[in-house]
Amino acid sequence: MQASGPPQNGEYMVAAYVVVAVVILGYSLLLWVRTRRVS
Amino acid sequence: MTKALRIIRRGGVLTVLGLLGLVAVYILALVYTPTEVRQGLAQKIFYVHAPAAWAALMAFSLVGTVSGLYLWLRDERLDRFAASSAEVGLVFSVIMLTTGPIWGKPVWGTWWTWDARLTLTLFLFFLFVGYLALRAALEDPGERGRFAAVVGLLGLVLVPFVHLSVYLFRTLHPQPVLVKPSAPSMPPEMLRTLLISFGVFTLLYLGFVMVRYGLQLATDEAAREAHDAG
Amino acid sequence: MISWLRQVMLLAGKDLRIEWRSRTALLSAVVFASLVLVIFVFARDPATVPTSALAPSVLWITVTLASTLTFTRAFALELDQGAIDGLRLSPVTPGALFTGKYLANLAFVFTVEVVAVPLFLLFFNTTFGSAWPGILGTLVLATVGFVAVGTVFGAMAIRTRFADLMLLILLLPFLVPPLMVAVQATVRLLAARPLSEIAGWLRFLLIYDIVFLTLGALVFPAILDE
Repeated sequence: MQASGPPQNGEYMVAAYVVVAVVILGYSLLLWVRTRRVS
Repeated sequence: MTKALRIIRRGGVLTVLGLLGLVAVYILALVYTPTEVRQGLAQKIFYVHAPAAWAALMAFSLVGTVSGLYLWLRDERLDRFAASSAEVGLVFSVIMLTTGPIWGKPVWGTWWTWDARLTLTLFLFFLFVGYLALRAALEDPGERGRFAAVVGLLGLVLVPFVHLSVYLFRTLHPQPVLVKPSAPSMPPEMLRTLLISFGVFTLLYLGFVMVRYGLQLATDEAAREAHDAG
Repeated sequence: MISWLRQVMLLAGKDLRIEWRSRTALLSAVVFASLVLVIFVFARDPATVPTSALAPSVLWITVTLASTLTFTRAFALELDQGAIDGLRLSPVTPGALFTGKYLANLAFVFTVEVVAVPLFLLFFNTTFGSAWPGILGTLVLATVGFVAVGTVFGAMAIRTRFADLMLLILLLPFLVPPLMVAVQATVRLLAARPLSEIAGWLRFLLIYDIVFLTLGALVFPAILDE
């Protein structure tokens, strides 16, 4: 039986990391915009 | 007004530190950690999914307990904190809800499954949404604080029931790999990265909540000044 | 100062009497339940989906949806004529107010169920057979819980602009665990499983009821407060 490497699913990893970055940065931006309005 | 700005500024510093930490986590997770043999690269989603879950859960528990305290003590600072924690919690639960299925598809073969943890994630999301929707729909600050607190407290009490009822069905969620009496079954690079990520997400939670709290304080004070003047 | 029990009876009685005069909420809930049942009958492929497979779900979905109609009504009454301030000012303890409202709501939902359940049996060509005490028990236990949470959220939702929508958004997460458990219990009862197997599910419902009834009574003053 041949040894197979790990499954090729890097695109999911990329998608998840992109989503996290977008959400975190997006929320940070939202907060920053709100502070502009307040100060 | 300056007190609010000071809080915002401090929160901003924590947030920036958290964001830098996140960059570090990304590098560690994507480059430093080894690729897991069974799950492949998709396994690395774990380094952001689990800490986000932790942050969302922490945010939710705090909303619930602080809501209970508010109903008892009626200190508006508690209400402000609960509102902030709810909003930040919503952000993290969105991360949970998106990264969860993205991880699930390659590893379990399906985008969604009604197992214990994903279902709880969905519930948390809906409870956060309900809490924030109610706040948005009420104008009087006293009423808003009290009613939101009722939802927050009841929501927290609901969680064990959700957990129990869903647990009564089979769960597909991967068994916890960290909590074992002997060494965790993870190579050190993975464990280290994961722990750092937990720290970074906690830092982000604190920073976000502080900024949000400061913003709320500023709005409340402006509203009070307008009310007194008018 | 009238006794607590008497306060509760007076309050519940008032609600029931007011509703009985116009009967609008009751009738709408009954009509709604019937319509939902009919929709379920037709919204499936009769060749591949036997009614027995759907029956437990249909029963419980109908019951929960129809009961949500009653919860905003309970407080809409008072909102209409500023009567809630009248209640607040009267020497009624908030605990009595919650219990009075709760009991009136419970009576309404039971009435809806009394109509909906036989209709369900009729449309879905089912009988409960020997399982009917168990199913009755499950109905009572689950309803007691639904109405507790519904009463609390109904009181809050009514103060918002889109009361019915807000009620649903708030209420649904709370209805899912007891709904899930009730369906599971019903499935087993209909399959003639022994009562001992169902005990755990029923215990869940009982604990849910106790917890949310207590909590509801405790937080209700905060909802009425100035």
